Amino acid sequence: MKAVNQIIKEKPWMGWVIFFITMVVTFFIGLLASSIMERRTEAIIINKPKADIKAFESDNKVWGQYYKDEYQSYLQTADTSFKSKYGGSATIDMLEEAPEMVVLWAGYPFSKDYRQGRGHYYAVDDIITTLRTAAPAKPGTDPMPATCWTCKSPDVPRLMNKMGIDSFYHQKWSTFITEIKNPIGCADCHDPATMDLQITRPALLEAFKRNGKDIAKVSQQEMRSLVCAQCHVEYYFKGDGKYLTFPWDKGMDVDNIEKYYDAIEFSDWTHSISKANMIKAQHPDYEIYSMGIHAQRGLACADCHMPYKSEGGRKFTDHHIQSPLNNISNTCQICHRESEAELLRTVYERQDKIAEQKQILEKLLVKAHYEAKAAWDNGATATDMKPALTEIRHAQWRWDFAAASHGAAFHAPIEVMRIIATGIEKTQQARLILSKISAKKGIIEDIAIPDISTKANAQKAVGLDMPTIEKEKQLFLKKLKTDWK
Amino acid sequence: MKKWFFKIIPSEEWHFTAIVTLGIVFGLGFYIFYISKAWSYLSDRPETCVNCHVMATEYVTWFHSSHKRGVCNDCHVPHQNFLVRYLFKAKDGLRHATIFTLRLEPQTIKMNEAGVEVVGENCLRCHKAVFGRLFQNAKQTQEIKSRDCWNCHRETPHGRVKSLSSVPNARVPLPESPVPEWLSHLLKN
Repeated sequence: MKAVNQIIKEKPWMGWVIFFITMVVTFFIGLLASSIMERRTEAIIINKPKADIKAFESDNKVWGQYYKDEYQSYLQTADTSFKSKYGGSATIDMLEEAPEMVVLWAGYPFSKDYRQGRGHYYAVDDIITTLRTAAPAKPGTDPMPATCWTCKSPDVPRLMNKMGIDSFYHQKWSTFITEIKNPIGCADCHDPATMDLQITRPALLEAFKRNGKDIAKVSQQEMRSLVCAQCHVEYYFKGDGKYLTFPWDKGMDVDNIEKYYDAIEFSDWTHSISKANMIKAQHPDYEIYSMGIHAQRGLACADCHMPYKSEGGRKFTDHHIQSPLNNISNTCQICHRESEAELLRTVYERQDKIAEQKQILEKLLVKAHYEAKAAWDNGATATDMKPALTEIRHAQWRWDFAAASHGAAFHAPIEVMRIIATGIEKTQQARLILSKISAKKGIIEDIAIPDISTKANAQKAVGLDMPTIEKEKQLFLKKLKTDWK
Repeated sequence: MKKWFFKIIPSEEWHFTAIVTLGIVFGLGFYIFYISKAWSYLSDRPETCVNCHVMATEYVTWFHSSHKRGVCNDCHVPHQNFLVRYLFKAKDGLRHATIFTLRLEPQTIKMNEAGVEVVGENCLRCHKAVFGRLFQNAKQTQEIKSRDCWNCHRETPHGRVKSLSSVPNARVPLPESPVPEWLSHLLKN
């Protein structure tokens, strides 16, 4: 064979043949490239929301026009018909269930009214009607800060964006009562431009930042829990500005949060019976869930509280956020092959045993508060009382940490049992110290506990004038409809 | 070989043109390598499977299933040894790539024969403990193997609703624009 150069020299048309072959090959490679690009563009178009929702759109209905399935299922959070043994979507008057709580929260608004919350749909209604937010006469005259609104509505990020985070927290709760209309919904967790999950509340972002973690780097699976952790966590209002803050800097468990609060000498209120400086636990759902087996196996909140749902030929995330016990077949049974009855039994077994110990702790704490009162009444000094009051503070914090997180007994049963066990130990420690103090004063008989057999009796015992409080609230609700518009 | 190579070498005055031409063809080749994310197919990451958006339904139904802790390749490629594994990946991958390029994907994607066999074996590979009791003798073994696990376990793991259009709003990590961020930023300004 001759060299190609030689061939082309002899037959110049051969050069043209090679030229055209190369051209055709390149042409087809180009076609392949553009086909790949076309299909990649399809992917971008498919993934782009076909919705025109502006930034900070707080009206859930607007989102619902584009995402009908998700919106319709979200609206079902209005359902209040499901009752499980300890929870569900129906309102439960917790103070009626356990009047001891009235004593435990004496001097704090929770002793007036504490009901198990209904679904997200009622977030705005329920914060307005609860006796805890009192009855301000005029907007801006109440004791509650605007911070109380933070988790109730997608209007909050909108307002924070408009006026700044700091100055939002600085206002009074009633200032925004006519401004905040939409209950917890779409914009709380979704970015309107991409529909991706997003964090809209500053406290979680700030806690991550302080602890050197980057929220931009977490996986989609973690986001499916973190959007919930914007609110379903332990938090406190820092300083006079009532700046909402997560106490996570030393760790996220009950002991480390306790250390954090002790270090800054934080207290929510001074107990009106025992005079102990108390901490009120909020709802450390995310913290407790993180310590359970399901979190350790990589599950997110949404896996059980928002499972996949099929309707006709479509599948979508069920936005009816609720107790998985009302939807066992789409939640537990995705992984567990046991029958519904058996799964329910397993959950109730854990809840029953923890409830039993929790009630023991509740009753002991009531005794401790009254025994402290007796010691004060018999002339004990602040120095005498300090060790006992610290034990009471820590013990009740532990009780509240376990009690305020409604799913706790299932989310992390072993940790919750440990929390209650240390609570019992600390309460008894306090009572031991108090009995020594009383013994020195010559008191050896049992301290009398007033009648707290019902919610009403307990409220009377701690000095609450409930008829007046309720009348004022009714007047406020009436005025809200007519005068506050 | 060497001789043949020397024969197609252009004369000296054409060297420059030939180098540039070859560069263009290879550049185009690398461009295809880049936009098709060809390197990602060496991994076992589930995100690779949604390089083609028609797999979005499969991805998202798996993501919500009891088998989420595993990855696609735990079930869908054989695990005897490295060679068998990558040979299967290459063969199956090329088939998928051809179908996708020629737009031949059906409305509801189903496994082909080779895939059925591999998945069946992988069910056994992990769930052996359960089957140990069942494989008492040759007759029983044959009887069990004559059926696919998912003939009964129909929801495992992708569920029964899984056409191309059955997950309209699913958030799936589909590939984004191949234009690097700094460039799209430059182009915008």
